[in-house]
Amino acid sequence: MSLAPVTEEVVTPEGDVAPDTPWVTIVWNDPVNLMSYVTFVLQQHFGYDRAKAEKLMMLVHTEGRAVVSNGTREAMEADTEALHGYGLWATFRKDG
Amino acid sequence: MARAFRRRGRGDGVRYVASLDEDERAIVGDLMGQVAELLAPPARTSTGDDSFDAVVAGMTFGDDTGASDVPDVPRDPALDRLLPTAHRDDADAAAEFRRLTEGGLRDRKARALTTAAAALRGGDDVTLDAAEAPLFLTALTDVRLVLGDRLGLESDEDLDLLEARVDRLDATDPLTAMLGVYDFLTWLQETLASALLGD
Repeated sequence: MSLAPVTEEVVTPEGDVAPDTPWVTIVWNDPVNLMSYVTFVLQQHFGYDRAKAEKLMMLVHTEGRAVVSNGTREAMEADTEALHGYGLWATFRKDG
Repeated sequence: MARAFRRRGRGDGVRYVASLDEDERAIVGDLMGQVAELLAPPARTSTGDDSFDAVVAGMTFGDDTGASDVPDVPRDPALDRLLPTAHRDDADAAAEFRRLTEGGLRDRKARALTTAAAALRGGDDVTLDAAEAPLFLTALTDVRLVLGDRLGLESDEDLDLLEARVDRLDATDPLTAMLGVYDFLTWLQETLASALLGD
């Protein structure tokens, strides 16, 4: 059995512009915010279902922080601002 | 004697109802007002013209350093809990984020706190609709963040340590009263968060 030669199309970024590395929004543990409240905020702001919101909340609680969203820098800044509005301790940074 | 928030009705008619006596409503409403004042932007209102604002901000009398920076007004540490640093490794990015977002955040939080305080003026039954309940919930968070700062809560263990300390204090010690208020707000917020989550 033989295979037809495969023409592999390699996609390379145009020019010297680096690919848009995703950024992340992180929520940090703090001693004031309630577990139920953090769950509520994650559902309310991101539209996550209860299970996902609780899983992220538990990560914040046990690990001290959790990545709650990722995307462009602008989107992560908007998430961070919204989470500050809710009183959560959120930061953004480039992933990796 | 306070009664916890409970969900009543459903759909558009859903209401979150608690019962707080006059003293409880006065304390919570007063604290919301105080935090709104803490957050309210400085009296110097922005003209929307950055260069003009920078000139005004740089005007100080008897300042012979020629510095044009905003005068170094002591910042209430509780503001760092309400408006935390948004980037931990890049001070420039954090400063830029703060410049772009702080005014709006302060304004929105202050307005939400004022709205929440108003909901406490209607009598012992505190009734919130679907739009008001999340605002009230977040207003409780902002008050607790400020009280948490005043109480020195920096880690999850600090509250337990503080409770143990207060047990040994005289009942008239101001710290006892402040912790009592903090615990009351924690309980109240927990009941509203649970009601909103549908528990």
